[in-house]
Amino acid sequence: MAEFLEHTYEKFIFKVKEGYLYSQDEFWANFQSGAATVGLTDFLQKAKGDVAFLETVEPGLEVKRGDEIGKIETIKATFGIISPVTGKIAAVNPEMEASPYLINHDPYGAGWIYRIELKDPEGDKAQLMDAKEYFEIMKNKIAQEAKKLYG
Amino acid sequence: MDIQVAKVGVVSCSGEEIPEGTLCRLACRKVLDERPGETVTICLPLFIAGGEEERTFAQNYPTITVDGCDKMCAAKATEMLSGKPARSLSVPEILKKHGLKPPDKLRHFGGEEEAAVQAVAEEIAQAVDEVLEEE
Amino acid sequence: MGKKHKKVVVLPCSGIGKVFGALARETAYELVERVRPGVATTTCLPLLVINDPEAVAKVKENPVITIDGCPKECARKSVEAAGGRVAKAHEAIKFYKQHKDLKPEGVAEVNETGRKLAEIAARELAKEVDELAAGEEK
Repeated sequence: MAEFLEHTYEKFIFKVKEGYLYSQDEFWANFQSGAATVGLTDFLQKAKGDVAFLETVEPGLEVKRGDEIGKIETIKATFGIISPVTGKIAAVNPEMEASPYLINHDPYGAGWIYRIELKDPEGDKAQLMDAKEYFEIMKNKIAQEAKKLYG
Repeated sequence: MDIQVAKVGVVSCSGEEIPEGTLCRLACRKVLDERPGETVTICLPLFIAGGEEERTFAQNYPTITVDGCDKMCAAKATEMLSGKPARSLSVPEILKKHGLKPPDKLRHFGGEEEAAVQAVAEEIAQAVDEVLEEE
Repeated sequence: MGKKHKKVVVLPCSGIGKVFGALARETAYELVERVRPGVATTTCLPLLVINDPEAVAKVKENPVITIDGCPKECARKSVEAAGGRVAKAHEAIKFYKQHKDLKPEGVAEVNETGRKLAEIAARELAKEVDELAAGEEK
């Protein structure tokens, strides 16, 4: 299995990591024994630009799938971090305070944002897309954006 | 690799030391803004420092380089790192052709410099048309 | 005991495509033209890559402050690849983070708000220029 599915548009290479699951809100979840690491997709970080500020919630907070669990501010936009899973915040990536740019530099790896202990992993998985399914959605979004820009 | 419509990469020299460098940047940006469907900006510093996306694009699409002086850094770096540009433009030559003086400031161009920016932008746009016709 | 007065090279990445590339460039110009003229100087980043002897000598013989527009650090990497000495490396986004009320815009050149931010950034970097010029590198 290749590590990433890749789609090239103009000079941009959009990556989707195999083995992760994806929400419609452009957040990914990597399920690992009762917990999931979550972060944002390569498409979203490219669309929104370099992260300047990150606001996170505290460990211990109970969250539901679809809840806003923080905010990201780039030079272009401020937007919410939307939890793709239900559970309890177990950890915030300690690198985020000093180096939020990791979200842009390595969105599927070092740029992870939260680790969440899961309450309903099977329920979460049923609502999320696998890499191939999300990849098609992402390609459509890119095509729509291009149509808007170029007619 | 899925590649969509024909496009041209425009590589501007960054020319920090000379007014023609700023002229390059502004003219290239003008063309990019007016021809978004046909042109893509290649960030020269990123291209040089190993930017995967910039280099991949330059390998797969034609490039037009725009240089502010006769050292021709954008043209040379592009040829070194991905292949000969389809067109290599020189701002001093363009200004000479149009009978225009180079700007005498590094930044904050105003009305006086607008004619020079316009002339260079038009030459770049013409080069884009020629390259696209060849594709 | 005399102190060495050197030129200090301030090298922005000048990245085109992101506002912080333009902010880096404006900050460098502010230092070179207004805040520390005669001491702060600059050179063209691509000249280092094509091994222009004058440009390479400039960054080898003088301390260099790089200002990059993004974490890819093109200016810093280019100076190091040319054998130059990066005394201080900065990312332009840092100045925006410290002055959130001054959100710069513009890609080829920053707007009026970006110029104000660049003025502040240049005044902050002036201290480093002074230290490096006096041979008091930390």
